[in-house]
Amino acid sequence: MIAIDTARLEQALTRIEAIVGAQYVWREEEARHGYKDAMAPRDPMSYAPRGAVAPASVEEVQAIVRVAGELGVALWPISRGKNFGYGGAAPHISDVVMLDLVRMNRILEVNVDMGYAVVEPGVGFDDLHNHLVENNIPLWISAPAHTWGSVLGNALERGVGYTPYGEHASKVCGLEIVTGTGELLRTGMGALEGAKTWQLFPYGFGPSWDAAFMQSNFGVATKMGLWLMPEPEHTLNLAMAFDRPEDLPLGVEALRPLKLDGTVQANPSFGNIIRNLSVRAPRSEYYQGEGPIPAEVLEQARIKSGVGHWNFSIRLFGDKAVNRINAEKVKRAFAHLPYEFDVSEWHRGEPLKGSGSPTPTLAALGVVDWLGGPGGHLTFSPVSPFTGAEAWEQYTTIRAMYEEAGFDYYGGFTAGQRYLNHISMILFNRNDEDMMARANRLFSDLIEVAAARGWGEYRTHTLYYDQIARSYDYNNGALRRWNETVKDAVDPHGIIAPGKMGIWPRRYREVRA
Amino acid sequence: MSALTIRSLPVVALVGALSLAHAAEPEAAQPGQELFLERCGGCHLEGGFGTRVLARRVPEGQAELQKRAVLPAALITLVVRRGLGSMPQIREAELSDADLAAIAAYLEQRP
Ligand SMILES: Cc1cc2nc3c(=O)[nH]c(=O)nc-3n(C[C@H](O)[C@H](O)[C@H](O)COP(=O)(O)OP(=O)(O)OC[C@H]3O[C@@H](n4cnc5c(N)ncnc54)[C@H](O)[C@@H]3O)c2cc1C
Repeated sequence: MIAIDTARLEQALTRIEAIVGAQYVWREEEARHGYKDAMAPRDPMSYAPRGAVAPASVEEVQAIVRVAGELGVALWPISRGKNFGYGGAAPHISDVVMLDLVRMNRILEVNVDMGYAVVEPGVGFDDLHNHLVENNIPLWISAPAHTWGSVLGNALERGVGYTPYGEHASKVCGLEIVTGTGELLRTGMGALEGAKTWQLFPYGFGPSWDAAFMQSNFGVATKMGLWLMPEPEHTLNLAMAFDRPEDLPLGVEALRPLKLDGTVQANPSFGNIIRNLSVRAPRSEYYQGEGPIPAEVLEQARIKSGVGHWNFSIRLFGDKAVNRINAEKVKRAFAHLPYEFDVSEWHRGEPLKGSGSPTPTLAALGVVDWLGGPGGHLTFSPVSPFTGAEAWEQYTTIRAMYEEAGFDYYGGFTAGQRYLNHISMILFNRNDEDMMARANRLFSDLIEVAAARGWGEYRTHTLYYDQIARSYDYNNGALRRWNETVKDAVDPHGIIAPGKMGIWPRRYREVRA
Repeated sequence: MSALTIRSLPVVALVGALSLAHAAEPEAAQPGQELFLERCGGCHLEGGFGTRVLARRVPEGQAELQKRAVLPAALITLVVRRGLGSMPQIREAELSDADLAAIAAYLEQRP
């Protein structure tokens, strides 16, 4: 690691104050409290940052990056910093100054005819949703289960939502980037001065770079084009609950052809019973013992709460007649299962609640209180092939490891077109040292075991960047080495988010070697 | 092409609680009240995640912050800036000291 000595930090922050104003710069203790991740199984102060700055414009970002480059002070960009379960607002290492872009919160453009928005990093899902609703703009956002985060930050992390536009990374069209040397570049068609198709044609001329700035430390994103879905005329929801854990593979197999041929465009998510129970009540209402809730107790809780062991809904978006035909197709695909769909419909003009349009909510965050203490969480998210057999193997392997480590398995499988995002969460008490140690051990073991079976993670917590990066080890980590080659070229001072996704700038690699 | 270039003003952060605000509070807005509804209302109104979590910890009727009998401004400031239990900290870049002071003053005076 490269420590920033206090004098150099002070020199950098003083110069940065001249750029943004002293009221938008924070030092040491204050910065650590503002940008710690209190929800991780680690002393939050052990990797909280040394300083923070919140610029208000692209020009300020450029000027800050130049100062940082000159003085060799690393920056850690965040948009809204609500990356819960993956690190919150915190960096990966403490010797950085946070580049907090939350004040850059303008919705720069919404194009109704073309169905896109251009946003700055600080724009939240709530902001964009409210903006569309208040201005009667017939476009819908797609959002994660809670809407506190940044539209741009979440898409850059390849976050997931639950409408047909739910694979957020694939709806990004054009980025504006401040590079590691403080230059400004625009990706795709935006590279052409006065381009008329920046948010329309995603590829540009020559290599496409949008994807390379996602889950990466190659630059700081200051604008993003995002395609938005035209408001559908109608949505039709088919909800189902499976009574038995072992029905998961049947459900996965039934859904795959419907995702593959486009009948189902959104991303249904098979959520397990704990995911469902945890937003209703704390665990003590179901069980007071130590260790994972025993199967019999869970079964009683399931019956009492009237939920499934797996719960999911398949929502169809579009024209009513088409949705109804597709609903019949969905029903036929699941007809061999001993359950009925609970069907509900929404028509344009009715209140949005229940439509599938993500309205502002923080309810999902209730999970952190599952154990009743000051709650913490750590999200483990391997990708599974979209087959019943693989999903089952992944589920049983991972659940057994959770339970052996003394944790309830909280998880779900969110359907992409050819893959499943298996999102599981270790929920623990932050005042229980033993539990935190077990959570860390479990997480490390999960990475190892998953990699040995050919499963890699889609995204991870800042604490585990390196271990997961190492697990992507084909040909002696050829891709990681490639990423570091690019990193050295595009960020020659090695100052943008060192270590993000296990990608270390040369000067850090040299110190480590 | 109807490209609407809307908003050059900062968009307000956090959860559309303003609509809730009007439903819940017909009386004249006090300083800090609107800010509370807008910035804290996503969790701390009736039925919100924060209210539900607090209901497990505080005496009956005290979970909703606006109904709390005693809520010193200093405590609010500390909890907001440092975080507590399930609540993550809210940093100054998102919520200025002046706005936080207005919210804290409003809650201290209630009910
Ligand atoms: C109960 C629960 C449910 C959740 N459900 C979902 C879900 O359904 N789907 C989902 O996707 N997530 C989910 N999350 C995870 C997470 O909370 C969201 O993804 C959230 O939107 C991420 O925070 P953010 O948008 O504020 O991004 P930030 O925290 O601002 O950014 C995340 C990271 O991206 C990078 N970054 C951000 N901005 C920039 C920039 N401008 N330039 C360069 N790099 C940048 C940084 O490394 C940063 O740390 C869930 C979490 C919990 C606890």
